[in-house]
Order: sequence, then structure tokens, then C-alpha cells
Amino acid sequence: MAIALPPRQLILRTPREFIALRLPLRGITMAALLLLTLFIVSAVSLATGSYGVALGEVWETLRGVTISRAIDNVVWEFRFPRTICAALVGAMMALSGGVLQNATRNSLADPSLVGISQGAALAVVTLTVAFPELNSGLRPWIAFVGSVLVAAAIRALSHTRQGGSTIRFILMGIGLSAFISSITSILLTYGEIDRAMAALAWLAGSINAASWGDVWTLLGWTAVLFPPLLLLSRAMSALRFGEAAATGLGAPVAMVRNLQLVIAVGFAAIATSVVGPLGFVGLIAPHAAKRLAPAGMGLHLVLTALLGAVLVGLADLIGRAAFAPIQIPAGILTSLIGVPVFVLLLIRSRHSQSY
Amino acid sequence: MSQITATTTAAAQHPVRAWSGVPILLIALIAAFLFHIAVGAKPLPISTVFEALVSFDATNFDHVIVQNLRLPRAALAVVVGASLSLAGALMQGVTRNPLADPGLLGLTTGAAFAVVVAHTVFGFTSMAFTPWIAMSGALGAAVIVFFISRMVPGGATPLSMTLAGAAVSAFLGTIISVIHLLNQDTFENLRVWLTGALAGRDITLLWYVGPWMLIALIGGILLAPRVTVLAMGDEVAQGLGVRTGILKAQLLAVVVVLTAGSVALAGPLGFIGLVIPHVVRLYVGSDYRWIVPYAALTGAVYLVSVDIVARVAIPPREISTGIITALIGAPLFVHLVRRRTR
Repeated sequence: MAIALPPRQLILRTPREFIALRLPLRGITMAALLLLTLFIVSAVSLATGSYGVALGEVWETLRGVTISRAIDNVVWEFRFPRTICAALVGAMMALSGGVLQNATRNSLADPSLVGISQGAALAVVTLTVAFPELNSGLRPWIAFVGSVLVAAAIRALSHTRQGGSTIRFILMGIGLSAFISSITSILLTYGEIDRAMAALAWLAGSINAASWGDVWTLLGWTAVLFPPLLLLSRAMSALRFGEAAATGLGAPVAMVRNLQLVIAVGFAAIATSVVGPLGFVGLIAPHAAKRLAPAGMGLHLVLTALLGAVLVGLADLIGRAAFAPIQIPAGILTSLIGVPVFVLLLIRSRHSQSY
Repeated sequence: MSQITATTTAAAQHPVRAWSGVPILLIALIAAFLFHIAVGAKPLPISTVFEALVSFDATNFDHVIVQNLRLPRAALAVVVGASLSLAGALMQGVTRNPLADPGLLGLTTGAAFAVVVAHTVFGFTSMAFTPWIAMSGALGAAVIVFFISRMVPGGATPLSMTLAGAAVSAFLGTIISVIHLLNQDTFENLRVWLTGALAGRDITLLWYVGPWMLIALIGGILLAPRVTVLAMGDEVAQGLGVRTGILKAQLLAVVVVLTAGSVALAGPLGFIGLVIPHVVRLYVGSDYRWIVPYAALTGAVYLVSVDIVARVAIPPREISTGIITALIGAPLFVHLVRRRTR
């Protein structure tokens, strides 16, 4: 992985150099542009739907002015939480993929490819179908447990004397996903039809049922998981050069890697527990971020999160508007974009001989 | 001199050991077949099953159940199990890839995709076309997967092929779900078929596909000796006088017909073509002359047995047969990846 030094940089110094930051200009510009795109996508998303609302009216409503009860209801109760959820979930899946790629040194890693999403899915479907009387607030926790178990299984299975290898990690994931998905299918065929249908809708990866409760769940977990990730970013940049180099640079490799896995699994599990499995976001976003701007690990993570948010926001908007009365789940659209990206990365990979 | 005697004894011993499994498998197949017909919501004694098959009495209710409901399903399991296993064995030989399987390399999804598109977009509902549509889909997917894996640096290794197959399957599978969302009617019609179940199949389709699959099965067994040579590598095979290009084209045709026929009959059933050849190898070694016919027989026994489990595991309902084959096959796949890349 070549990290070219960015040509132009913005250097911020406080008096007496108490804090000094060196920021690559291109990365900052891209981050600003992405933020702007996210705002535009969110605004259009708030205005579009079966009940048309003008952009100006959306703005007024968000400022707290009541134009009409219907608009208030549509914007505040349905579309606003949905838009925020889409952005948050996209950011979480993207970060999960980015961290996973760094931790496993595998450019093809993605929570939905290595079985982590499927683990969360199985846990949630079990909860929905077999124990419907349990509180749905348990969902994130249960999903987290399911994902952690799968991640542990992958780590145990792909561990060898020579250390894990890149592509077989993915192959292991394919096998595990097939196994877990068939158990999920049994639950769906055996369970009561109403609950099975509810679980099925959730499994397609749709954001249409998002509520304010989901927004708070996502926000809370992001607040818990994001700060440690930023603290880790220094060690993660060292890991970019490989395990040996990182050890030489003084990074506590084993601890960093375990923490990374926990964070990646956490992000994927929480996002999955709210909207269902969203495929390939974690694969696309980090690679696109790398293309957009060469940046240090911290800024790279921010760019990745923003890209993921834009991607899922856009997927949700298109899925809602393209075939108007029918809603295409966002997960399907992200997979449609993601698979060609996956093939492209596979063709370009230089590690494929070393399985 | 001693060398010659050694080879003759080896040649004389080998067929005995190799043939020894055939009667066992045939007996197992007949037993599983009869048992498959006997169990169910209304359990029938084996003697009744036997009578119904030999001397059919249209006034006897049990005989009608056997002939009209249970016999077609058992026959379907035999045909599909044999076809998918044989196709998997041939693919593993040709691609020299122990992970090859019609499902993993995208052929079954390709066939399913073509059938769904033909149903919804072009409105082909006639059964006569279904096998042909499925075949073109399987062929297209096979070619795409092969070319993607060729373009990966390092060439068409088992792992790059599997990854390309997974990617193509994922893509086509996603398009299938989009079509379903846009078109509720076809979803209703094709939902059961797409999970890979043997229940409620229309037996008339077997008359359309059966002859082609039979030809492909025989062709596969006839081509098997040369697959053994091909499995040693293209250069060795050419040196031994095998025209590899023509042979590969013939084998591709056989695999596509068998896979597409199975998909048309039973939907996408996963992992059978992966599991059975590996089990068979434990007994007959690495000679495809024996692997291929054994795979066909063992595959038939396997799918009939799996279908029995699918029918009786949760009494009032049925589990899709494809789910059970995946439950058994996926751990084996993980094991193979582990062993191969140790």
C-alpha cells in the first residue's frame, strides 16, 4: 500500500505549539464536499415520497414551524428518523469494513462477506421467531453476541501456524455464511408465518421502518465505539505497513488487533440489528475513500464514514423513488453496486497467489 | 519380471475392489428409495409400496398415493442427486479444483436467474422452454466465472474461481430479489422452487428434461477415463494424446446440461456436487473412471436420504431439501479450505 505524501497541507498551530495539526488540504476539501453531498441527499430524501413536500416546507418544519399537521407528521415521524438512520447505518457499516480490512490486512474484507452480518441476522431472527415475547430493545445486544461468536469462529478456523492468510479468510466466511443462512432459513420455514414475514422483511436490509428509538440506539452506540477507534488510529497507521513493521514501530499489535475486531464487530452488529444486513457498504466505502484522497488514518476513517453515509442515504432514496409504490430495500442496491466493485478488486489484487 | 507380475496383480485386484462397492450402493439405493416412498403423513408398509410398484391397482387408495404422489418425488431425488454429483465430480477433475461445485461456481444461480427472467420479463411460462432457458443461463454464468478467475493475477486457482463464483452468484441472486419485489405474482410461483425443494414438483417436466439428462449422464461416464488424464494437467494430457480443447468443450456441455436440468427440476440445491465426489474419493481413490459412476450412484442415495430427513424431521411441515444439503455441505467446504491452505 503506497502512501504518497500529499503535496499541499494545512498546518494549524496553537500559540507555543501546544497543539499542532498537519492536515492534507485535499482530504479536508473532500470531507467538506462529502458533508455537503450528505446534506443534499438528506434534504431530497426528506422531500421525496408518496406525500410530496416542497424543500422550503421541509426547512420550515425542521425549524419548528408547523405548516400543517400532515407535513409535520410525515417529516418528523417518518422521514427524518429514516434519513438519519440511513446515514448512521451507512457510516457504521463503512467503518466496520474499513477497520476489518486494516485488522485482517485483507482488502476484500466486509462484514457481510465474512459472515459477521449473517451471525447478527441469525441471532435477531431467532429472537423474532422463537422468542417474540422478549423486549425488542434486546436486539442490539443479541445481534452483538451472534456476531462475536461468528467472528471468534472465523478467527479460530483461519488460524494456522503461519498466521492467517487473506483470501482463505474470505473463503472461510463464504462457507460459514452458507451454514448460518441455512439455519436462518429453517427458522423462517418452521416459525409462525406472521413472525417469519416480519423477519423476512427485516432480512432484506430495508430502512423503511426506522423510528426515533432506532436513531437513539445508533447514536448511543456510535458515541461508545467511535472515540476508541480514533484513539487507535495511530496504531492502525502503523499496521498498514504490516505486522512486523508495526511491532518495530512500537505498536501493541495483538491488543490493537483484538480491539479493532471488537469495534468492527460492534459497528456491524448494531447496524444490522436495526436495519438488517446491508451488503458490501463496508467493502466499497474504504476503497473509495482511499481513491478520493490520500490521508492519514484518522482522516481516512472520517472520509470512510461520510462515504458510507452518502452511499446508504442515496441507496435508500433511489430504492424509495425509482419504482415509486414499491420500495426496493437499500441492501439490494448496495449489493448491486458492491459486487462489481468486489470483482474489480479481486482482479486487481496482488495477494491472490499467496493463498 | 517381478515388475510385470506386480502390475498384473494390481490390475487384477483393483477392479475387484472398485466393483465391490457397486452392489452395496445399488442395494442402498433401492432400500432408500422404498423407504422414501413408505414414510410420510400416512406411513405405508414396504410390502404395500412394493405391490403398488409391481401390480398397480387403481382402486386401492394406498397404491394411488404411491403412484401419483410419492413415486415422482423419489424418482426426482434419484435423478437430481445423481446429476449434480456427477457434474461436481467432472468439474473438480477438469478445473483441478477440489472446491468445484455447480452451486459454488455460479451455475445453479445462473440457471435460476435465466428462468426467473424468462418468466417475468419475457413471459415464457411454457414448460417445454424451461430446460433450454436454464441451460443457457448456466452456460453464461460458467463462462463469466471462468473469465473473471482467469483475469485474477495468479490465474484460475481454486480460490479465485470460488471467489468469482460467489460474486457472480451474489449479483444474480440480488437481481432475482429485485425482480421478485417488482413482481409479486412470480414470487408466489417461484418462491418454493428457489429454495431448492423437491416437494410439489410437476413430474411432467421430467419427461422434457429426463432424456437430455440421461444422455449427459452416459456421456459423462464415457468421458470419465479421459478426465483422469486431464486431472494431471493440460500438458500431460496433451502429451498422452488427449485433445484437451475438444474434451473440455464436451465436458462443459455435459456439466451444463446436468446442472440446468437439475435446477429446472428441483431448484438450486447447493453443495451436493461438492460433498459426494470427496466422499467417493475416500473409497475409490483418484481415478475418475471410478469416481464418476460412483459419484452418480452415491449422489442418488444421498439426496433420497436427505429428502427423507427433510420430510420427516418436523412432522407437520417440511424443511426445504436445499437447506439440509447446505447444512451438511458448508462445514465440509470450510474443512476443505482449511486443509488445502494449511
